[in-house]
Amino acid sequence: MPATTSAMNAPRPYALLAEITYRCPLHCPYCSNPVAASLREAARRPQGGGYSDMQALNGELTTDEWKRVIRDAATLGVLQIGFSGGEPLVRRDLAELVHAAREANLYTNLITSGIGFDDDRIGALRDAGLDSVQLSFQSDDADLADEIAGTRAHRRKLDVAAKIRAAGIPLSLNFVIHRRNIDRLPEMIELSEILGAERVELANVQFYGWAFLNRAALLPTQEQVTRAREIAMEAKGRLAGKIDIFYVLPDYYETRPKPCLNGWGQRYLTVNPLGDVLPCPTASSAIPDLRFENVRTRALDWIWRESESFNRFRGTEWMPEPCRSCPQNEIDFGGCRCQAALLTGNAANTDPVCTLAPNRARVDAVLRDINSSTPKAFGADWTYRVNPKTLKS
Amino acid sequence: MPIEIADAAQPRLAKGVRLQTDSATGKSVLLFPEGIVELNETAHEILSRCNGRTLKEIVRALAEEYDSDVAALAADVRETLTDLHQRKLIELI
Repeated sequence: MPATTSAMNAPRPYALLAEITYRCPLHCPYCSNPVAASLREAARRPQGGGYSDMQALNGELTTDEWKRVIRDAATLGVLQIGFSGGEPLVRRDLAELVHAAREANLYTNLITSGIGFDDDRIGALRDAGLDSVQLSFQSDDADLADEIAGTRAHRRKLDVAAKIRAAGIPLSLNFVIHRRNIDRLPEMIELSEILGAERVELANVQFYGWAFLNRAALLPTQEQVTRAREIAMEAKGRLAGKIDIFYVLPDYYETRPKPCLNGWGQRYLTVNPLGDVLPCPTASSAIPDLRFENVRTRALDWIWRESESFNRFRGTEWMPEPCRSCPQNEIDFGGCRCQAALLTGNAANTDPVCTLAPNRARVDAVLRDINSSTPKAFGADWTYRVNPKTLKS
Repeated sequence: MPIEIADAAQPRLAKGVRLQTDSATGKSVLLFPEGIVELNETAHEILSRCNGRTLKEIVRALAEEYDSDVAALAADVRETLTDLHQRKLIELI
């Protein structure tokens, strides 16, 4: 049967990333949240009633607003929702939102640091129908992990992992890899085995938000990356059928760009804590000249189909050369718009990770810097993420 | 290496994997962390019979329903289940 229906003209989204808060107890220097999040929130604090003190302070969508977003997303075709942030457990209404998502028949994923995951909440989320948890780790080693997080969190995470397993909720571990911890990959894989995870992501930091600011301290060397890939591939083979291992290279070391989002406005949408609807979670900070719509003033369906922000880089019409005539242009979609904006100042340029891109020299210059410095000269020369203000008396 | 699925094995959806109908297309999909797989008709017919039946019983049930050759069907079923098993979308008990 030919797949040519009218619905094919407007793509249909499959997954919603619900960034329900920017608040977080951790201060990871690679956070992909916008660096200016707290400032923007202060400026956009909603006026008038209808908000709890905490939500009003942070400008966040209310419980009812999120429930509407969830229903509207399901109507639009979304099948999966990821609750993220910030730390989504900071919101006391998380279980209620998970329940609403399950009622809308969505697959529900919680992307969390684990901090705030006490016994009561694990039970409440399981009862609400939570399908899976992705728990982040900063390292296998408590001291290093706590140093990276900028707070004591590691031991609590170990405890939380065990409790999630005991509650019977499928568990994925996300190790965020960078220059300071990449040499500990074998130990991280060992920890994953001990914790009984079904799935492990060993994902190198990609450079957006705070990570872009801290790139010089985070980008690994060529030697580290090569070794890490070998270790990850060996473990993938050895643990096949037991743990699914995904290794993600820092894309600066690639020669072709990543197929970011499977194409702009094709499969994914993000709603940030303020209700802005984004084709990509980092777009609001990386592409300042794009105006984003908000669920408080526009219908989600209209934003997805009609808005300028979702249509600007849809398809292949917007592409410059060498993408426009490239046989790869429906494989990698010209790479990442945010990366093009951050590295070249123009989101419509070819992702400079591509060796065919006119601006590849900018990536090479960064790699040259990293690889010419003495590899042992690793200091904590990064800026910790400053979190949005929380309500304090 | 893919393992040979025994006739007596009972395939079932792996933990964290959900089988449901995609209301936008009417097709069956498997949902799992960070992933969606659209099932073809064969995979849908097989998976909707993975409810405590053994591989042998699944093949027999399908052969009766579709009045087809058991040997050919068994090969198809085994191939589909092996693929799903390698992707950790089903488990065998």
